[in-house]
Amino acid sequence: MSEDHERIEELLAGYVLLSLEGEDAAEADRLLSEHVPGCDRCRRTLADLQAVSGDLALATAPADPPETMLPRIHKAMDEVPLQGRRGRRGALVAVAASAVALVAMGGLALVLGNRLSDAQTRAGTALEILSAMQSSGSQPNNVAPMGATPPQSGMVEVSAPEVRTIYVAAKDCPEPAPGHAYQLWLGSDGEWVPVGPMFWPEDGVVLLEVPGVDVSKYDAIWITEEVEGVPPTEPSTQWHSWAGQLA
Amino acid sequence: MGEDERLDLELHRRVSQRDRGAFDELYRRYVRQAYGVALRVTSQDLIAQEVVQDAFLALWRAPEAFDPARGGFRSFFLSLVHHRAVDAVRREERLRRRTERAANLEPATGEDPAEDVVEDAYLRVRRKEVRAALGTLPAAQRQVLEMAYFGGMTQVRIADELGIPIGTVKTRTLAAMRKLRVTLQEE
Repeated sequence: MSEDHERIEELLAGYVLLSLEGEDAAEADRLLSEHVPGCDRCRRTLADLQAVSGDLALATAPADPPETMLPRIHKAMDEVPLQGRRGRRGALVAVAASAVALVAMGGLALVLGNRLSDAQTRAGTALEILSAMQSSGSQPNNVAPMGATPPQSGMVEVSAPEVRTIYVAAKDCPEPAPGHAYQLWLGSDGEWVPVGPMFWPEDGVVLLEVPGVDVSKYDAIWITEEVEGVPPTEPSTQWHSWAGQLA
Repeated sequence: MGEDERLDLELHRRVSQRDRGAFDELYRRYVRQAYGVALRVTSQDLIAQEVVQDAFLALWRAPEAFDPARGGFRSFFLSLVHHRAVDAVRREERLRRRTERAANLEPATGEDPAEDVVEDAYLRVRRKEVRAALGTLPAAQRQVLEMAYFGGMTQVRIADELGIPIGTVKTRTLAAMRKLRVTLQEE
């Protein structure tokens, strides 16, 4: 496809600054998945723009964090292997609100190996997520976009130990590149295992349900873009990915 | 590749092997700059602390997210902090209140009140280069860049705030980024 590189570079500049929205954001997502990977010029431009974005942080004055920050980080690191860290209430409320917003929106699609999209299944899965969120011990967790993954595409993970099911919901999820799909990974102490079948978003929406998972064994979640049909042995880092901790 | 970049890569490699000493060293090298940018974007201590803490935890839990083939560690990590700071601002819907204060954003090229605080020389040197490069930008270009990066504003909002077409915002932004890249590559 012939592309106007001046226009593309304007979009890429806005993309690395996280300043796109609406149609521009969607167009940037399309370019990043369809055009940029195969265009040397755009790959170089994107790398250059990202380097500038990283440098811009240096224009701010450095500041001393509270002395308690590193001990707090150490404590959170130590808590990971068993039950994971329980998030701060404010953050949890925000994430829970995001999850509710997701299940309340129309056009949800269950993505679980086969594409099941009838309204009854969608409503049922939404109710299951709400039920999981209301059960004792449930924790909605933010699964944040990593690297060059579109910043507006954050996902939410919901699980409850007693239901032994993990749910992942997202909107504004970019399509993986042709021939690729997404894979859910769960991790414990740096070891990652693929969980469930590969999946794709439908109109940007992901509603993934993976039953039979003992979430308490894991401390982190990672969703990566992988080559479709090739069982991955370890998460790929060169394409879209989202990562988070399990509370 | 400079000595500091090599050290970053080595520390990151060791973090990938669950070396806490290496993690603490990366923390020491970057926490002040990370906290500085988080504070600048969020304008709130507690949110900035949360952003920085979460960024370091993300580094510990998924060090594989950094791919050396795609650029330097410093750029990767500070971009991660910046992204999380912008996300935090937008998520908590504080943007409107912040934009009301946008006119009071401190100039990015101004004096650094923490300049005399001990920190790694390489960051201090690069900071001066970045600030000098920002100072070479035409005022109109620097304005849109600062509103986007430090104000966390979208291009649509910047256009609205400044009363200019969004196409002009896009053009100025790209021109600013290109000029910075050229200037900083020459350093």
